Order: sequence, then structure tokens, then C-alpha cells
Amino acid sequence: MENKPDILEILTRTQTGEYCTQKEWDTKRIPGTIRNILKEHDLAGACDPDNPVNTDMELADKFYAAGYQAALELGFHCTDTERIISVTQGELDLAVEAAPSELLVGEGQHATLLKSRTPSDPYPMKTACTLGIAVSEEYWPAMHYLIAREPEVDLLNGGSLITIRGKEVLSSTPIETFMGYEHAQMHKEARRKAGRPGMGAIVSISAVTEYGMLSSYGAKGGYSTKDLALVLFPSEMKIDYRTLHKVVQVHNVGGAMKADSPAMIGGMPGPPEGAVISSIACALLQYTILQPQTGGGEVYDVRTLSNVNREALWAQSLSMQALGRNTHLMTHPCMNQVSGPGTEKLLWEIAASVAVGAVAGGTLSTGPRSAGGKLTDHITPLECRFMSEISHAASGMALEDVNEFVKAALPHYEDTIKEPDLGLPFQKAYNLDTLEPIPEWQAIYHKVKDECIDLGVPLNPW
Amino acid sequence: MAIDPKYSELVTNIENGDEDGGIEAAKGLLESGVDPLDIVQDAIMPCLKEIGDRFARMEVFLPEMMLAADVVKGVQDVLRERFSAIEVASEGRVVIGTVFGDIHDIGKNIVAAVLEANGYEVHNLGVNVDPKDFIKKAREVDADLIGLSSLMTTSIPYMRDVIDLVKESEVDRDRFKLIIGGGPVSEETVELTGADGWGENAADAVDAVRALMESG
Repeated sequence: MENKPDILEILTRTQTGEYCTQKEWDTKRIPGTIRNILKEHDLAGACDPDNPVNTDMELADKFYAAGYQAALELGFHCTDTERIISVTQGELDLAVEAAPSELLVGEGQHATLLKSRTPSDPYPMKTACTLGIAVSEEYWPAMHYLIAREPEVDLLNGGSLITIRGKEVLSSTPIETFMGYEHAQMHKEARRKAGRPGMGAIVSISAVTEYGMLSSYGAKGGYSTKDLALVLFPSEMKIDYRTLHKVVQVHNVGGAMKADSPAMIGGMPGPPEGAVISSIACALLQYTILQPQTGGGEVYDVRTLSNVNREALWAQSLSMQALGRNTHLMTHPCMNQVSGPGTEKLLWEIAASVAVGAVAGGTLSTGPRSAGGKLTDHITPLECRFMSEISHAASGMALEDVNEFVKAALPHYEDTIKEPDLGLPFQKAYNLDTLEPIPEWQAIYHKVKDECIDLGVPLNPW
Repeated sequence: MAIDPKYSELVTNIENGDEDGGIEAAKGLLESGVDPLDIVQDAIMPCLKEIGDRFARMEVFLPEMMLAADVVKGVQDVLRERFSAIEVASEGRVVIGTVFGDIHDIGKNIVAAVLEANGYEVHNLGVNVDPKDFIKKAREVDADLIGLSSLMTTSIPYMRDVIDLVKESEVDRDRFKLIIGGGPVSEETVELTGADGWGENAADAVDAVRALMESG
């Protein structure tokens, strides 16, 4: 009987696997394989933008079979050595079977239990707020204290620091190493101050390279190994040594890993249907090759680097459903919005996209990415609260009901996806003396929340 | 614009990403006496524009764009070889790359492919590029413009390093325009780095490059 590959075996395959140039991988192997599989499984043209939440479970299972085949035919490409890390069917099956279906993140009464979910699963999809939006050192502590204080927010992820003690954080330099550890201290202090010292965290969001993470995860006084270490890939179906350094570190310290690698509609796998296959394949391969505890299944659209448009919502729903129905993996629909804080549109984008991930069977969603993550300090605790409320409330809904809800939400924002209103920064959307949202932003929140309730999302009105 | 049927074999090979076929078709056109500048202006340019438009409509995708650009590079080499005295028309010469500390390549590759599709000669330096290497390559190929990409906020200072190197050099200051792009890039980043312009997406980047080239 085969075993799942251990990490040393994977590292060896980065040097001994089949040689393939990056150009060949990007322009021939990925698109050619996906194209053939789409044809073989008769899935081309399946995308239905008029119904952004798929309700055909037979279709979800067909996509799973296609993604499984793609994982075995492709493997991951190591960009440093230009070699392919292939896996056997036995290795893949064993690794997926061995992956955990539950994970406690954090410690004590404030810890969060992540669970594998199926479509419409009543166990709520959990949230980690926010995505890695750049945040000024000046506002970071107050902003993250307020996010951690939001009771609906399950895990604290957090914005990326652009300076540390006033010095610019340059990636790959010792300043990044310094920042990694100091950021961990700030992160812990925000949770402690909010009265949730055991609240779980997503680790090292500010660390671009391995340096920031090696200095903080599992280090004495740094992040706990009860927190989730973030391991981001360079792009779908690719891995590199920088990422593998992080993976080895998580294994060495006995920690838990959240791996992310969004498939791109319009990128190497082509149309939305190709991106679904790539997304499923990528999830299966990361559990076989890197062996994370959670992650996988994200789909973005390269045209907007978001996933709030119809095609991306549809693709995200399919990817989550396929993995949720056919495996017990704890997947991660990371939903990227484009509008900014203080706008109605941001809340509608959050409502539609997060409801899709929750009802489709995602385990954990990280967000929001207010203003597309483009502007410093353009994130507030209020949209983190709203995202978490939607995530929890939409989890047990019927797929058909969420489809109707999303169809009603889309007209609120889809005309401005390409040219969104980027809204207000934290320091203007919040009163920094009272640490409350300004009345206008609070009123918008209540208005959109009430409308979501009217449209059938079982949110607590208070 | 309808393309003359005599170019149909060349156009089909560009669309199909068949470099050998494209080169053979170009050689055939040259042997039959077609002017190389006509091949570029009447076949290659409109064909690439059409592919770029199809990408915007999601009828073709990034791999097809990259392969079409490769065919055109191969064909242009043939045209230059045969007619070394003739400068094959180009909208401009761009050196592009993802700045130091960042390994994300997809956004930069899209912009490179769309620029090539719009007639620019693009020198793609890849990812994690040292600031000095941008300048070195731009000088080597006599570039008009340097394009800097980053998806990570912590790599944005390296954008500024490249820009500072150019602006501090008497030789390069008036020679290279500087454009930036990527997930966290905005007007705010333009102010922070001193770039000449920015692109929010690939189409926007082409417009910005065109505007900068026209501004002289």
C-alpha cells in the first residue's frame, strides 16, 4: 500500500521531477490539459451567469471528477527548478483521506472550531478578518482591537504593516524578519485588549517572504502553533522554494497551515469552467503535496482581480460544492470585493459573495478585501462584522434561496465593478475618539442589513 | 478592419500560436514580394488588436495571448533578418517586470501580452527583479518605458528604488518613462513613488503607456 508523500520526498521531487519550462507549463501544459478534460467531461459552456449559485449537484460531481483527473495529469510546477512535482492516484487518495475534517484554532474559550462542510450545511462557515490590506502603523492597533472586539468575527487575520517603528518594511531584508516578530506582538496585544486572548489568528499576513514567518511562527513570544500559518502560492498549479520554506517551518514546529492559491478565470485555465477544474485540482494537490489543515478552492477573475461578478460567483459555488460533496477537506472561499468602506456597494458585494461561499460548503472565509485592497487603511471593523454575520446566517440556507438572493443583490453593484467607488479610509469612516463608525456608515450598514433580511437572509436584526 | 486574404495563413498561425507556421508564412510573403512594413501594418497589427479585443471579451485567454505574442516576435525577427536596413514598425519599446521581493507573475504577464498585442516591443524580465536590472535592460534595448509590477505592499518601496535610480540619473531621467501597476497600486502609490503613470488593469495600462509615449 502506498503512503502519502512526506515533505522530504516532495522536496526531492522538486529536483528530480520531469523538467518543463515555465513557458511550456503556462502556455501548453495547463491550458492543454484543462481544455482536453473540459471536452472529455462535456463541461465546456456549463457556466450559467443568470444563476450565480449552482443548484445542480450532478454538475458539481462531474466537475469534481474533472478536477481530480487534472490533479493527477498535471501536478505542481516548481518555478525555481522548472520541474514537475507529480503525485500518484494512491498518494492523492491517501493524502485527502488523511486530511483533518475538524481543527480547533486558538485556545480556550475563545478558540474557533473549523469543520468540513457540505452545501447548505447548518454548521456556519467561519470568518477570518481582514485580508492583507495595507494599514498604517498609526491606525493598526486601534483598527485590529476593534475587529477582534466584534463578536461575530471568528479569527483575526489583519492588515499588512507598511512600516515598523516608522521604518519601511522591505521584503527579503532583515527588516522583514524584525517586522514578523514585532507584528506578532501587536497581533496578540489586539486580541488580548479585546478580551479574546485565545482568539485564533491567521499568521504573518505582512510577511511576503519566508523571513517574516520564520521569525514569528512557533517562536517563543511569537505566534502560537495553535494559530493558522498562511502559505500563499505564487499562482495556481505552481510552487516555489519561498513557499516551501514556509511549509517546512509549519511541519517542523507542529503547527497548522492554511494554504491558498486562487484559480484565475481568463488566466492559464481559460474560461470559468476551466478555472473550476483548476481550482479543484489545486486544492487536491496542495493537500497531497503540502498537507495543510485548511485552504483551497478559491476562484478569481483576472479582469477585476475579484470574485463578485456573475462568472466568478458561479465558479466559486461550483468549486466549493464539488469539494464539499466529494471530500472532507476544509476549504477556503476567499471573496474579494472592489468597492470601499462607507459605500452601500461594498456591503452588497460582501453579502452576495460571502453568501455564495457559505452556502456552497466553504469552511473558512478570509476577508473582506474592501476597495480591492488597493488603498492604505481602506478597511473598517464594520464591514468585518457584516461579512461575519452574512457568513454565519447564510450557511444553512437552501442553494436555491441563496441563488435568488444573489440575483437580487447583484444589480446593487455590478454596473460599477470595473470602476468602483473606493470609499473612505478607517480614520474617516470611524470616529477615532469614540471608536464608533460615523453615523452615515452606521446608517448604510443598517439599511443594507435590513434589505438582506427582507430578501430572506436570516440575520439577527440587532 | 478586414485583413487582406493574402495574409490569412500568417494571421491563422498567429491566432493559433504556431510559431513555425507563422515564420514560414512570413517567409512566403516576403518571397512573393510583399513589403515587410505592409506585413506588419496590414496583417500583424490588426491581428494582434483583434486578439486583444477577444481577450477583453473572454473569448481567448492568457495562454493564447502569450503564444500569439511569441509568433509575432519570431516573425519580426525574420523580417529584420531579411531587411536589416528597415526598422520594423513598433509603437514603442517597454521593459517590464515584477519588482524585487515579489514573485507574482500573472498580472504582469497579462499586461506584457496586451502591450505586445497592441504593437509594443516588450522585454519581460520576469519576477523578483533587482532594481538595477530594470535600468540595465532598458539601456541595453534603448527602451522608451519601464513597467513595474507588484502585488505586495512590501515590494512597493522597490518600485520607488527603480524610479529614484532613473530620476537621479542625468542620462536616464529624460529617457525612460515609468509606469507602475498591480493589486495595491493606486493614485496614492503614484504619488508615493514618483511614477509617471499607472494602470489599474491591462487595458488601462495600454492607455496609460500610449498617453505617456505621446507626451514625449
